[in-house]
Amino acid sequence: MTKALDGIRVLDLTQWLQGPVCAQYLADFGAEVIHVERPVSGDGARGVRSIKALAIGDWNQYFQVINRNKKSLAIDLKNPEGQELFYELVEKSDVLLSNFVPENLKAWGLTWEKLRERNPRLVFATNTGYGHAREINRPSYDINVQALTGLMTRQGEPGEPPIYLGMGSGDTYGGLMSAFGIMVALHQRRRTGRGQYLDASLYGAQLFMAAPTLQPFLASRAPERSRYSMQQSRKGARNPLWNCYRAEDKWVFLCLANTDDNWSLLCRSLEGSELASDARFDSAEKRAEHNTELIALLDELLLGRRAGEWIESWRSLGIAAAPIQTMKDLAEDPQAWENDYFLKAHCDEVNREVEIRGLPITLSKTPGSVESLGPELGQDTELILADVLGMDWDRIGELKERGVIP
Amino acid sequence: MSQALEGIVVVDLTREFYASLAGALLGDFGATVIRVEDLADPHEVDHDRNGMHPPERWNSLDELAHRNKQSLAVDLDQAEGREILSKLVEGADVFLTDLPSATLDEKGWSYEGLCERKSDIVLARGSGFGPRGPDRDLLALDELAAARTGAMPTLPEPGQPPVYSGVGQMQTSVMLALGIMLALHHRDECGEGQVVDASLFGGNMYSQSLDLQAYLAIRDDRFLEPLSRLDSGNPMSGPMYPSDDGRWVTLAMPDTDKYWPSFAEVVGLEADDPRFDSHEKRCGENRLLMMQVLDERFRTKPGSHWKRELDARQLPADVIETYDYPASDSNAAANRYILDLEHPTHGAIQSLGFPIHMSEGTARLRRMAPCVGQHGAEILQERLGYEDDRILELEAEGILGAGSRS
Repeated sequence: MTKALDGIRVLDLTQWLQGPVCAQYLADFGAEVIHVERPVSGDGARGVRSIKALAIGDWNQYFQVINRNKKSLAIDLKNPEGQELFYELVEKSDVLLSNFVPENLKAWGLTWEKLRERNPRLVFATNTGYGHAREINRPSYDINVQALTGLMTRQGEPGEPPIYLGMGSGDTYGGLMSAFGIMVALHQRRRTGRGQYLDASLYGAQLFMAAPTLQPFLASRAPERSRYSMQQSRKGARNPLWNCYRAEDKWVFLCLANTDDNWSLLCRSLEGSELASDARFDSAEKRAEHNTELIALLDELLLGRRAGEWIESWRSLGIAAAPIQTMKDLAEDPQAWENDYFLKAHCDEVNREVEIRGLPITLSKTPGSVESLGPELGQDTELILADVLGMDWDRIGELKERGVIP
Repeated sequence: MSQALEGIVVVDLTREFYASLAGALLGDFGATVIRVEDLADPHEVDHDRNGMHPPERWNSLDELAHRNKQSLAVDLDQAEGREILSKLVEGADVFLTDLPSATLDEKGWSYEGLCERKSDIVLARGSGFGPRGPDRDLLALDELAAARTGAMPTLPEPGQPPVYSGVGQMQTSVMLALGIMLALHHRDECGEGQVVDASLFGGNMYSQSLDLQAYLAIRDDRFLEPLSRLDSGNPMSGPMYPSDDGRWVTLAMPDTDKYWPSFAEVVGLEADDPRFDSHEKRCGENRLLMMQVLDERFRTKPGSHWKRELDARQLPADVIETYDYPASDSNAAANRYILDLEHPTHGAIQSLGFPIHMSEGTARLRRMAPCVGQHGAEILQERLGYEDDRILELEAEGILGAGSRS
């Protein structure tokens, strides 16, 4: 089947998460993506053994899922001959993507000046930690950057610790952003015939990711600013009809604008309660003014029935609400499977079908797909050199003897 | 300097922030994005519906989502109004919308309907829960999608209410923008358009993808429950400790042997303290004691003290910031992640800028978010070739919103 990125070749000189996720998006849609790795140990993510203090299981789902649909080329970039070989591949590629720190790239002789000289059509994309404009020498794992943006401090109830939004939540956003940037640059190349340099940093992506609260923070002035930067208790939500409530068995998210119509709908669902006639709550202004009292009363009332019963009754009344599910519920959610947001794929490592994150972008005529999970280290090295560079088998043997490739 | 997406024309019929933002991302890189507002069905989104955005000096989320766009207001219940839209479609590359698919069908803006006017159009649709499956027509609210994707109950401390962060929708915006670029790439190669879909549900799933993938593979209930801030096998890697002014410190020193001597100095312990003088003691028999001691130590000094001391020794640890940090960070400004603007009516304000840097196709703020209908006359005249007299008639008949003439 035709793929959107048929004919695009990407050198994926990345490790861990953000860079590999970026290239994963391109690979899912048909680009030939070559994951370039160090010969001995390869991408550090190959060594992940545990996740949240649990053994990772019999297959490395961390590495394999984000490196699906890719080839692996092992090459020693510290070796000048390896560097030259890499440049020969650059000449035959459309995109070079890297999330290594700039010092690494320099040590390997990879500079934008030289790359564009060897291939003026190349799109060279980096994922720096903190942006291209300054050299900032500070660790840039997902947690370091989340800690810096202020997003963590905004989450949760007052007095509780800041909240990390899940492993790699910022990295995956940075990877997605980077893939978008690469496509924009490829579009421009069609018109100009030239490639360009682009950077989608983890810091830049995570600041953008914080937009729902960071943008209003930036646009207001103290003291209003703290409303967007500091934790806000659900017990003091200005609109009590838009809030999380605990039902008997689990939490539900109720999402109603604070209008009189919505209020009477909600009261109708709270059969027998006296809220509807309570003068403290008979207008939007009063409900906002007496918000803490109203939330406390709703807390009590909603605890009385199971989430499923509330949702059913609310749906029949046209009240927007959802039960707050667990990942276990999600793993069985037909909506996720029918949209290919989850997929099944064959895992060579354990020789069975496994369940994986699927394709969140749906293209009607050139859909993405998962043809294979992450490659073994260097599994395609010889074939890439033969097919892409037209190298003969003897020359490949010489490169092995000299330790340029394993 | 030319911009990357110059010449691309996007017709934008979006209402919710996440979908509108996808259009802004294209506009940032130079696409002509024409926001069409239906005078017959204004359906203005109430930005304070969640109680988070009381009337402020300006609506900053709208400003972000509609920047670099033109606005055309027409009555789409009138044949003439619909004809204006159809003519726009004839000259467009992309039709971006988050209207329900039933509405699109009814108004003739289904993919087939649009193809009659522009055979290679790219139709990009944002939805709540994806183009297929039993819940494909459910209300598109980020809160409802987040509630369903499993992360909310796992984020807070045990016993605390679930956490809604709003970042899931940010994934969806970029997914839509990336999907559009993939489809345009295919169109430019093969001459055919197609439908692009991305949903809030899919965006939220990807936003927490590592945890979710790990749960799919391991199926351990540990992934379903919130973890305490001290739930770590290593007191020096993972836990969060409060400082005396309420700022929190998080440590990332898995190799405790390497960092112990200087870290001990920071927290005022002796490196040869017999309770903690080996990795085994720190992470084994005295792990809980060490956490207790660190918890007490960190509470004695303010966050700024710990930041200074940890940074001076280049220890991998973070003092978690608030939004005040990026707002005054010269690096965020140098990279144009955050912009200082002079707003024509609101004066000096800050706004989120551009997460992607490009050497040639630079993103730019060409115009602030338009007033409703601001560019109607201009678009009809320059893009669709209407005569002045006709434009005045359309305005008089109420088919074209007059807006403010620029």
